[in-house]
Amino acid sequence: MTPAAPRSIDAYLKQLQAALADQDPSLIQDAAYDAEEYLRAEIAAHPDKSEADVLELIASTYGAPEEVAAAYRETEAKVKAALHAPTPQAAHTPGLLQRFFSVYSDPRSYTSLFFMLLALATGIAYFLIAVVGIALSLGLATLIIGIPFFLAFIGVVRVISLGEGRLIEAMTGERMPRRPVHPGPAMGLWAGIGAMLKDSRTWTTLAYFILMLPLGIAYFVIAVVGLSVGLSCIFAPLAGVLEHVGLVHASLSIEPAWLAATLPLGVVAILGIVVLTTVMHVARGVGRMHARIAKRLLVNPS
Amino acid sequence: MEETQVRKFQKDLNGGLVALVLLAVLAATQEDLYGYEIAKRLQKANEGEALFKEGTVYPVLRALSAAGLLTSRIVPSYSGPPRRYYRVTEEGRAMLRQYRDVWRQTRDFVDRFIEAGITP
Repeated sequence: MTPAAPRSIDAYLKQLQAALADQDPSLIQDAAYDAEEYLRAEIAAHPDKSEADVLELIASTYGAPEEVAAAYRETEAKVKAALHAPTPQAAHTPGLLQRFFSVYSDPRSYTSLFFMLLALATGIAYFLIAVVGIALSLGLATLIIGIPFFLAFIGVVRVISLGEGRLIEAMTGERMPRRPVHPGPAMGLWAGIGAMLKDSRTWTTLAYFILMLPLGIAYFVIAVVGLSVGLSCIFAPLAGVLEHVGLVHASLSIEPAWLAATLPLGVVAILGIVVLTTVMHVARGVGRMHARIAKRLLVNPS
Repeated sequence: MEETQVRKFQKDLNGGLVALVLLAVLAATQEDLYGYEIAKRLQKANEGEALFKEGTVYPVLRALSAAGLLTSRIVPSYSGPPRRYYRVTEEGRAMLRQYRDVWRQTRDFVDRFIEAGITP
């Protein structure tokens, strides 16, 4: 059964979103954005007609919500297949060892590791923007410049949130919005500010910005410690050999001392490989987990 | 029944053709165009009933852009949300030439059989 033809932009967008309800929230946001651009331009092009009259003809030009939803669904499936090559799957069930080391052939491990290192810088920046923005918005609220400042602050936050989404999609492959959030129906200044304050996404986005500082620090520490321990263990035998033949005169010491006393350098190197591979697994896991957090906080679950 | 068969045939055909037409429209113009403008140009060019719904233009634009055949930039607009303007890339122009060759081959091939199959 098809619902009644929409008579307003809001109704059209609601039906479109309902028709895409089973799809990724990011795709729904993109589709609603495109539709709103078209519908508003169409209404602006026919100033003599009412919104309801223009919407009446929409089904034969732009397409009914279900038709448009079907087009997005098809294209999304094709693009996904083209952009994200399926993760390589061995034909036979791989052994535990093979599975453990397969992490090196997954590009997501490297990009996630890079994301963890970058998270310290972005985390500090987001935290500063959120805290300074909130503090100044509250502080300036009683003055006339408080309103433009708050609007500009929220605008900046939305743009950054889109950029962060693009970064996360590039790093982890999680589908994130490719369009900014649509500003919604035109309303007065006060109503607009009220809607911004009532929009739960404004707050979850700010929460994400603040959360990124502790997360960024944790990610950075895990990545740096893991990489340096793993790599130094792996190259310990090489350093030992070089020192033995007298090429380098660094005093090679392994801490803790019991490790140096009981383990030959070859075993240390194997330990290093295990540590490094574990770090790659952790990075991939952190990437997936972080993508879920970002999706929950940055994308509207409409 | 016949009507839906015809519509379905048209829809199947459009699958790849919309991408070809969009690339051609954007390659033919110097200026950047946004979705609504492109949709209107296509509608104007086809006097009778539109061959495809304008709503199907947008997802294809996004797909072409994701594949690197188009670039886009966002410009604020007075009448609604910011508009995304598209421009064809060099890669897109090269792809258009290839698409065109495939299309011509296909068209000639199909025509040869149709002319023989339909007697006036």
